[in-house]
Amino acid sequence: MNQILRKLGWTTQRRSKEAELRDELQFHLQQEAEQAEASGLMPEQAKYAARRELGNVALLMEDTRATWGWTWWERLWQDLRYAARMLRRNPGFAAAAILSLALGIGANTAIFSLLNAVVLRPLPVADPQQLVQLTNTLPLWETGSDSSRELYGYPQIERFQSQSKTLSGIFGWTGLGRLNIGFHGTSGIAQGNASSDNFFSVLEVRPQHGRFFSAGEDRAGASVAVISDRYWRNRFGADPSVIGGAITVNQVPFTVVGITPPEFSGIAVGSSPDIWVPLHALDRLKPNSKRWTDPFSSSWLLIAGRRRPAISREQAQAELDVIHHQFLAEQLPISELSGMENVQRFVREGHLVLRSAARGVASGLRDSYAFPLKLLMSVAVIVLLVACANIANLLLARASNRRREMAVRLALGASRGRLVRQLLTESMVLALAGGFLAVPMAWWGSLALVRMISSGDSPLPLAVYPDWQIFAFAAAVSLLTGILFGLAPAVRSTRADPGPLMKEGTRPAGGSSHTLDRTLVVAQVALSVVLVTGAGLFVRTLQKVWNVDVGYDRENVLMFSVDAKLAGYPSDGAGAVYREILRRLQVLPGVKSASASVVRPVDDQFYLLDKVNEIDGRNLRESDVIRVAWNATSPGYFSTVSTPVLSGRDFEPHDNETAPKVVIVSESLAKSAFPNQNPLGHRLGLATIVGVVKDSLYSGARDQPRPLLYHPLFQHGRDQEFGWGFVSFELRYGSLSNLLDEVRREIASVDRNLPVFRAKTLVAQTEESLMEERLLATVSGFFGVLALLLACIGLYGLMAYAVARRTAEIGIRLALGARRDHIMWLVLRETLWLTLAGIAAGVPLALCAALFAKSVLFGISTADPLTIAVTVALLIGVAALAGYVPVRRALRVAPMVALRYE
Amino acid sequence: MNIQPTSRLELLQGTLDLLILRTLLPGKTHGHAISKHIQRTSEDLLQVETGSLYPALHRLEARGWIAAEWELSEKGKRAKYYRLTTKGRKQVQAEQTKWEAFSRAMGLVLNSLDREPV
Repeated sequence: MNQILRKLGWTTQRRSKEAELRDELQFHLQQEAEQAEASGLMPEQAKYAARRELGNVALLMEDTRATWGWTWWERLWQDLRYAARMLRRNPGFAAAAILSLALGIGANTAIFSLLNAVVLRPLPVADPQQLVQLTNTLPLWETGSDSSRELYGYPQIERFQSQSKTLSGIFGWTGLGRLNIGFHGTSGIAQGNASSDNFFSVLEVRPQHGRFFSAGEDRAGASVAVISDRYWRNRFGADPSVIGGAITVNQVPFTVVGITPPEFSGIAVGSSPDIWVPLHALDRLKPNSKRWTDPFSSSWLLIAGRRRPAISREQAQAELDVIHHQFLAEQLPISELSGMENVQRFVREGHLVLRSAARGVASGLRDSYAFPLKLLMSVAVIVLLVACANIANLLLARASNRRREMAVRLALGASRGRLVRQLLTESMVLALAGGFLAVPMAWWGSLALVRMISSGDSPLPLAVYPDWQIFAFAAAVSLLTGILFGLAPAVRSTRADPGPLMKEGTRPAGGSSHTLDRTLVVAQVALSVVLVTGAGLFVRTLQKVWNVDVGYDRENVLMFSVDAKLAGYPSDGAGAVYREILRRLQVLPGVKSASASVVRPVDDQFYLLDKVNEIDGRNLRESDVIRVAWNATSPGYFSTVSTPVLSGRDFEPHDNETAPKVVIVSESLAKSAFPNQNPLGHRLGLATIVGVVKDSLYSGARDQPRPLLYHPLFQHGRDQEFGWGFVSFELRYGSLSNLLDEVRREIASVDRNLPVFRAKTLVAQTEESLMEERLLATVSGFFGVLALLLACIGLYGLMAYAVARRTAEIGIRLALGARRDHIMWLVLRETLWLTLAGIAAGVPLALCAALFAKSVLFGISTADPLTIAVTVALLIGVAALAGYVPVRRALRVAPMVALRYE
Repeated sequence: MNIQPTSRLELLQGTLDLLILRTLLPGKTHGHAISKHIQRTSEDLLQVETGSLYPALHRLEARGWIAAEWELSEKGKRAKYYRLTTKGRKQVQAEQTKWEAFSRAMGLVLNSLDREPV
């Protein structure tokens, strides 16, 4: 608005200044004439003399105008108007160019905004670059390689806090997972965190209402809670009187004391807690006596801190590593685990590593998507390059048609710089129009991407919004592309020598070289090969992953989870609740079989590992210990997920707390523990093997095949997984309609306060577990199609122009009796040669590019022959189409018309 | 027919600005008068081209050395009168000092005693 006003002001002001100048010169003329008359000339002669004295008025006015300092803007305005007129005269060209640019820039911006939210954006706190997260290396004796982890025992943070001089503040926190928050008799699920009381003060976040935890508030019996802005709006209707209000967390009373500011949504990308409580509130939610004292077997705390301004990360790391080592060395001799070789090795060889937390602490979301997003970002850049090459090509073809126009303008005295500037303005108008369209497209695209990578019940809490960085990015990309595709055609079309061109008529000399156009088309085809190959590899990966034999049947299985803790049950009361739910599910109409388990197929929350170190009462040497993944399942689990029981039996209801311990093993566990024996009746640890089941992939298609150990849920679970986890139920159904509603009704009739969550079919769960593959396949597939389309337009543009130039030649040939298919081949041959050259350049390029994506491919090599064959065929097909259409048009023209075409 | 003055000097680059500013020192006047005044005081040796005068006036105005207002001339016609601003006054001083130094230097070189350069 402001700008429009200023522009209006400028134009009116300019007009009055123009009039003033005219008046001023008029007055000058009059004065001059009067003086001439006074010196004796006739009035007519006097006027004439005055006029002569004034000289070239147009030039004078031009020179004067130049001093007003507006010329630059005036020329720009002229150029813009001229550019708009040229584009209006070629609406097809303009639409194709702007649309392909909008798609290219939009795709880049959309992926950039996601990359920005997931990987690049710093935390919205003061001086985020000072934040560091403490991690430690964990030497694993099984594999020999170091893996790093973020967890510490609680006593360690107290030691760091009291001894570190390089950090100005150190805080700890841990995730609480799902919590059942009650307020005025209603209940709802929220994500919770427990943190030390200095969490917000070290981060330097200020509450928007109320207060945050005060020093010393993290102590036994702590009952204060801070809620997030988002939760405050969604659950409490943004009512400030909730401060001081009473809520319950898993039926335990708490008081809300503060609300976070809107921009703060936690410190890990992709997880934004709804509620924070002090660490010691854990004792009221999940009592565990070892939690505060044990440094080895109970590592659960995440630790981060703020560096003092003058301290480098290396200095801080050196200091903290010493504290870390001293502490562990002190604790080892008095620990009950002191005899274990891997604990000793951890104390001896482990190191503390400081990681920058400026952009948030370690996040699973970032780990999984940083690389795919960077891949897609590069793909998007290539798409934009293809679009640029395309437009440059169309501009070049047009430039050839405009050479006469340029020649006339040069001859009339326009400087070459001025013409280049005008042509560049045209490109800029195209680019900016594309960029302008790209912004809404990008916004829509990034939201679609977030939905695509969101698993679970709600979209990921990712702050993807068009901020100034995104706009700056889109604008910069637009300007850059404008220069990129506009410069070469502009320079080339103004290089003309006016003389011969003007004599020659509209058509430029036939022999003029078109190396640039051809190079551009070849480059475009080559890049398209890279894009289409990439898309092919990702689509094939998805296909392969989907078709892996996972060892269970994903069709017709509905799953959901229930956590008795959320309704306030103690862990030894939970088993009865789950048993009752299962009993009711089994008799639901439409349910063929039902079961419960700790880990569900393709679980996204648990990966349980254990070691088998005792077989039939015989202790295994450490090198012979078998690493297994384990699960605890109810009777009926194997028939529900259709994993065949090969020998022995499934668990039975009588395998309960009081019965002798039993286990079921997978085929591969049976083979490695009891080679060439029947494993039934043998013992692993204290439990007897009662069944052998077919191998299945523990956490989905991309998992390594592992030996698997199953415990009976109601025998094993009482004081273990019920204490910290929740239980998943699986239903094999005949018909899905209303099933979930019936399930909810049944569960409400067991206990009204039991929330149902993670409800989804096994197919949906599998799809979500393949999010990364699907994201890559979908987005790169989209780009692949776009690249093909652009290649088609580019080739078509070049061929249409080439054919139009040769219309007369084709006419002559036809008149002289040339065969139509011969002429068609003449033209198609050129298209095919260009395409083959592009393919020849593109295939090695694609093979190299595929190496970067090797880690995300599955079941195929980077040089997948089928993918490459399909790509080549597609591009040749596109090329043939692009060449055929214009040549057919030319052949339809009667020879005489073609000859007169000149 | 105009009587042609005996000989006329080409204006040196950049001197027109100083001439205009100096002309405006006593008080405000319009473009035509400025031109005539320069011609007269230089005993017709300097003639200001109208084609240079007006761009120069507008340039000086844009720089803020002179300001302009529309007023009635002695004969009752609307004319654009230019006057020096405070900034312009300082500029005259500076330019004049510079010019005098330059012309003295030119004089010294041109009128030097012809001796062999050492």
